[in-house]
Amino acid sequence: MAVTGIWTGTISFSLVAIPVQLVKAVRPGRVSFRLLHSKDYSPLARRMLCPEEEVLVPPDEIIRGYEIGPDKYILVTDEELESVSPERSRTIEILEFIDLSEVEPVYFDQPYYLVPAKGGEKAYRLLVEVMRRTNKAGLAKFVLREREYLVAVKSVGEALALITLHYREEILSEEDLEPAQGELEAMEKSRLKKSIENMMADFNPEHYADQRRDRIMDLLKKKAKEQGQVEAPRVEEEEGEGPADLIAALEESMRQVKKSR
Amino acid sequence: MSRKIVEIAGRKLSLSNLEKDLYPAYGFTKAHILEYYRRIANVILPHLQDRALTLKRYPEGVDQEFFFEKRCPVHRPAWVKTAAVNLEDREQMTVCLVNDLETLMWVANLASLELHVPLARAASPGVPDSLVFDLDPGDPANILDCARVALILRDLLKPLGLTGLVKTSGKKGLHVYVPLNRPETTFTDTKKFSRAVAEILQKNYPELVTAKMAKEYRRGKVFINWSQNDSSKTMICVYSLRAREKPLVSFPLAWRDLEDLAGQDDPEKLQVISSEAVSRAEKQGDLFSEVLVKQQKLPHL
Repeated sequence: MAVTGIWTGTISFSLVAIPVQLVKAVRPGRVSFRLLHSKDYSPLARRMLCPEEEVLVPPDEIIRGYEIGPDKYILVTDEELESVSPERSRTIEILEFIDLSEVEPVYFDQPYYLVPAKGGEKAYRLLVEVMRRTNKAGLAKFVLREREYLVAVKSVGEALALITLHYREEILSEEDLEPAQGELEAMEKSRLKKSIENMMADFNPEHYADQRRDRIMDLLKKKAKEQGQVEAPRVEEEEGEGPADLIAALEESMRQVKKSR
Repeated sequence: MSRKIVEIAGRKLSLSNLEKDLYPAYGFTKAHILEYYRRIANVILPHLQDRALTLKRYPEGVDQEFFFEKRCPVHRPAWVKTAAVNLEDREQMTVCLVNDLETLMWVANLASLELHVPLARAASPGVPDSLVFDLDPGDPANILDCARVALILRDLLKPLGLTGLVKTSGKKGLHVYVPLNRPETTFTDTKKFSRAVAEILQKNYPELVTAKMAKEYRRGKVFINWSQNDSSKTMICVYSLRAREKPLVSFPLAWRDLEDLAGQDDPEKLQVISSEAVSRAEKQGDLFSEVLVKQQKLPHL
């Protein structure tokens, strides 16, 4: 399979360094639609509007402000943001090994796979094998697109999976929710425990599917067959007026062409 | 899967599925394709040199699914030359440069029948070294109508001090290239110029020419696609195969030959098939070589 990674580098710990690529592990199942103009099917573009002046704002007039209160901002430039961004790194350095079952699912963010790059296949297989045997996950930090991520690396089948984790301060504490009220009755507890036990099953994700997605895809197939498609006009349709000198020269040349034919 | 290891210029290359018929209606296998590119290499390589290749791969043949690949495949031999192309958002993309026979063979082995390249070199992506008029006939107009437009174009450009060269697209149209080869040229210039020319032709030959992209204007006319003069666009490389029923080639034509052919009422006569392309290239050399070297300045901009 020819894969194109979104990041290339090495994964390393102690004396091992394995060249790898990072690829996405999920393809979002959501069916996305373009927004079109109903009159001519042109795909719509997003533009920045200044509500004060009712004008579209060109990119070179757009700056960033951090909102500190109503109508009050602190201005920040791209350079300033860059100066506090971490250096791009080419390594995923495993800092420690942990038991992934200790990590609450709320910490899990995005899943990826690590794919061995040329020359790294053997060391990669070894790492996959050892991590599977010990059933541990490596905890690492690395920089992807100007942000430093905390990640867990774990073997999944014959491959290594990498899951970006949320930082502690991003997690909303469950203690902030409504406080628990009243005592729990022993009878109720044991009844509920029993019904859970009766409903135990193995995790079989193939038993479940996004039914809305399937129905949308069926609808699209049916419509493609029965109604066909609509086509957007190509852009840049307006008649352009070229430079006056050029137009004049072309017209003169055109007169000669027509005369000789 | 059958494999065969070949050695070119001391580099080993593994070729696969050589017996696979990629033009099933005609009978033209992967081995034929590799043989075609090997024999045409000395004329096509200068036109691919240092340009970001877009692969158009037909792994299951010309009548099956294809895919475009702008990024150079990750699983490539170490000797394949690449260049970094800047994308938006500070990301970069690695592209293949087909600068030698072994890379050309490797690309052909990926079933990339069609080789598409930009009008600028990878090292100077904002500098088009030629301007192109992409002549695309809207049914029932055909390549003979394109030939008429190409000849008018040639005559129109001459008083402006510009020489153009013409090639078949290998599909239904023709491409007229105006060599520039001047480091100060920009795509803004070439687009402005080609658009003005397209519009003056549309004005003077409204039954024959349109400069508008919308499909409803193109029926029965030759659409002059001036918008190909853009850093984000690619053109089919001269001498590249096309993925049609037959292994036709995008092939250069001498203006005199185009005049002759335009006078005969047989659109098929303008098309050049791979075997003929090889024998004609061997006899006449590279009719398109001026595109790479002739320096011309676009006037009145």
